[in-house]
Amino acid sequence: MRKLLILFFLSVILATNSYANDFTMAGYLKNETSVGLDTLNDVNKFKNIVGLSGEYKLSDSWVFFTSAKYWYDAAYDWSSKYDSAQHYMGHIQRNDWLRDCYLDYISDNLDIRLGKQQVVWGQSDGIAILDRVNPFDLTEYWLPDLVDLRIPLWMVNVKYAPKVDSVLQLLIVPDFEQSTAAPPDAPFAFRSYRLFEGFRNTWLSGAGPVPPLPPAFLRGPLNTGIYYPGKKFKNSTFGVQWMDRIGDIEYTLNFLYGYYYSASTYNESPPAIPPITLNYARRFKLWRLYGGSFNKTFTESGPLQGITLRGDFAYYNDEPTYFGDVDTGSSAGVNRWDNIFWLIGIDKYVATNWLVSFQYSQYIMQEDSPGGISPTTGKPYETFNRYTYGPQDEVENIFSLKIMTDFMHERLKPEILWSWTDDNQGKVSPKVTYEVRDDLWVTTGIHFFYGNEYDSNGQFRDKNQIYLNVTYTF
Amino acid sequence: MKKRLRFVVSCVGLCLFLGAACLYAAALEYHQVYKPKEGMSADEIMQLKYFVKYTLFARDYESTGYVYLVDANGFKRERTFLRRRLILGRGTDDLSYKDLVMFTGPTAVKGLAILTWTYMSPDKEQNQWLWLPSLKKIRKISAAQADDSFMGSDFTVEEITSRRFDDETYKLLREENFQGFQSEVNGQSYHQGTVCYVIEATPKRTPWYYSKRIVWIDKKTGGDIYHEVYDPNGTLYKTIFKDYEFISINGLDYATQKFLEVKDLRTGHKTAIDMQGIKYDQGLSEELFTEKSLMRSRW
Repeated sequence: MRKLLILFFLSVILATNSYANDFTMAGYLKNETSVGLDTLNDVNKFKNIVGLSGEYKLSDSWVFFTSAKYWYDAAYDWSSKYDSAQHYMGHIQRNDWLRDCYLDYISDNLDIRLGKQQVVWGQSDGIAILDRVNPFDLTEYWLPDLVDLRIPLWMVNVKYAPKVDSVLQLLIVPDFEQSTAAPPDAPFAFRSYRLFEGFRNTWLSGAGPVPPLPPAFLRGPLNTGIYYPGKKFKNSTFGVQWMDRIGDIEYTLNFLYGYYYSASTYNESPPAIPPITLNYARRFKLWRLYGGSFNKTFTESGPLQGITLRGDFAYYNDEPTYFGDVDTGSSAGVNRWDNIFWLIGIDKYVATNWLVSFQYSQYIMQEDSPGGISPTTGKPYETFNRYTYGPQDEVENIFSLKIMTDFMHERLKPEILWSWTDDNQGKVSPKVTYEVRDDLWVTTGIHFFYGNEYDSNGQFRDKNQIYLNVTYTF
Repeated sequence: MKKRLRFVVSCVGLCLFLGAACLYAAALEYHQVYKPKEGMSADEIMQLKYFVKYTLFARDYESTGYVYLVDANGFKRERTFLRRRLILGRGTDDLSYKDLVMFTGPTAVKGLAILTWTYMSPDKEQNQWLWLPSLKKIRKISAAQADDSFMGSDFTVEEITSRRFDDETYKLLREENFQGFQSEVNGQSYHQGTVCYVIEATPKRTPWYYSKRIVWIDKKTGGDIYHEVYDPNGTLYKTIFKDYEFISINGLDYATQKFLEVKDLRTGHKTAIDMQGIKYDQGLSEELFTEKSLMRSRW
C-alpha cells in the first residue's frame, strides 16, 4: 500500500507542476466478486483492486510510463475453509504490484522499451503457445484477462525496423519470476498441488500405514526447497522475433531461450535408511522455444472475403515434462522432451455484428510413453498433465469457440467462450458487459467446468462460479 | 437511314459523354485539390464527394475530437480520439490510404487503437489491426460488416470508412438552397441557404439495409452535408449532417469535415462527432501506420 501511495503522490506532484501538459494519469477501482454456483453462499472471491497509471512525455522521443495496482481479497477472511490459503491469496502482491515501469525511446526505425513490462507474442487467443516471454500468475487458473495473468518482468526490449512493416525485436530479460499457482485450499488450487500437499501432511502426521508409504515409525523429515537461477547475466532469458509480410500474409519467426518459468520437482532423497528422509528440490530448467506465427485476412472479393486466418507454431526444446503413476498421483521424475504446440484460428463477422472465432490446436508430446514401471501398481508410467498429475495424451486436441456481439450502441456486450479438448472436458464461460456510464462498467458471467479430475478444466468441475465485476474508472 | 445515323450519332455522343465522365473520375489525382464545377453529372459530383470525404487531396491528416452518443432520454456517453491518416495513392501495392484511430478517453477505452489500410481496388476490403489494451497485443481483425454500427455509433461502418463510389448508382435530382441544420447536440445552426446539388443514391447491393439515400452536396466544397436515409420499405429512418468548411493550407482550400451528427429517427438515438485541432500535410511518416507503431501503445 505504501508503494502505491508513493506512486500516487508522485503522480499528483507531476500532474500539478508546470509539466502538467505532458503528464497523463488514469486509474480505476474495481470489485471482483464470485460465488460458487453449487452453493451460492460460498463467496470465493471478494477482491477489491485499485489501479493507477501515469505517462510522462519527456520529449517527442522519450516517454516514461508506469502503472501499479493494489488489491485485497476479503473472501479469505470470511471463510475458514480457505484458512491455509489466506496469507497467500488474501493480499500477497509479490513483485507484480508494479505492472509497468519503463522508459520508451521512439524513432522511425528504432524503438527501445527499457524497464518492467509485458511482451506478447503469437496469434492465439487464450492459449499461450508463443506467448511465453512472461510467466503467468495462475492463482485464479486461466480465468482473468491475460493482461492480469502475465507477470511483468524487467527487460530490454529493442525493436528495429529495417523497412516499413518489418520489425526485428530483441529481448534481454535479466529478471526472473516463476509462474505462480494457487496454494492448496484456494478455490483454484491444482490437483497436483493438492496431491503433494496431501502426501506431505500424511507423511508428517504419521498417519498410517498408508500404502505405498512406509510405516509411520520409519518416516523421517520431509524437506522441500526451491532453487532459483542465480542472478547472473548469463541466466537471463533472451528472445528474438522477426516480423514481416509476404503480400497480404504477415508472419513472425520467434526464438526464446531461458529458464522455464515453472519449477520441476525432483526427488533427491538419500538412500532409504530409517528414519527415511525425503528431499524434494524444485529446480528451474533451461529450455528453448522455436516458432512462428502468421495471419491473413481475405480482402479480395469471393467466398472467403472477410475471413481472418491466423496461426501459431512452437517447437519446445527440452521442455520439462512430468511422468509418473497416475493411479497414485505420484511423480516419478521429469523428462526433458521436445514437444510441439500449434494452433490455427479463423475469425469472421456474420449477420452484421456477430463475431465468430474458432481455434483448433494440438499439443504433441515427443513420446507416447516415458518408459519405466510403477513399483506400487506395476503399471507403466504415464506422461503427466502438469496441472493434475492425470494422464497426458501424446496428442492433445484442443478447441475453442468464441461468439460475441453487442447491443444498445455497444453498451451491452454479450460473449460466450467454450473451450474443450477431445477428452470430453472443458469450460463454458458466458458473460455480459454493460456500460452504465462512461466511468462505470459492470460485467457478470459464469464459469462452468466439466470433465474428470485428471483434466485441466475437469479438476474444477465442482468450482463452477458466477461472478460480478464492477469497475469505476477515473 | 437518317434514323439509323441519328441513333449511331446519339450512341457515339452518349459514349463520349460517359467517357468524359470516366475521364473526369480518372482525372481525380491524389494530392490535388478539386472543386465542383457547373454542369457536372451526378457521377462526377459523387466521385468528387468521395475524394473530399477521404481527404485524398492531402498528403496526411490529423485531428483530435469528441464522439457523443446520446440516447432518446438525453443520456450522453463520450469518447475522445486521435485520428491520423496518410494518403498514399500508391499503385505499386494498391494502397489508397492508411488510417489510425486511437481512443484517448474515457479510461475504460483509453488505448484502444485501430489501424486500417484502404486499397484503391474497389473490390478489395480493408485490412484492419486492433490494439487491445486488455490483452496488450495486436489482433488482425476481420473487417466489420458494412451494415454494422461504427464503434457503437448511429453511423454504419460503410458510412464512415468503407463505402465507395462504385457501391451505388446516382441520379441528380435538382439544385437547391439547403434548408439548414439545427444540431440537437450542441444547439448550433449550420449551412442555412448553402447551394447544393441534391442526388439520389441507390445501393447496388440488394437486399440491403437501406433502399436509397438523398444526399445534399455543397456546391462550394463538394462535401456531402446532409443525407436522408430510407429503409427497405422506403421510409425515412435516419438523417446525417456533416459540416464541411475550407481550411487553407499553403494557399489551397482543403474541404474539411468539422462536425457530424446522425440521428436514428426510429429510436431517437443520436451520435455527434466534433473534430478539433485539424492539421494537414505535416509530413507524417509511414512508420506511424505500422504494427510497430500500434505496439507503442502503453494503455
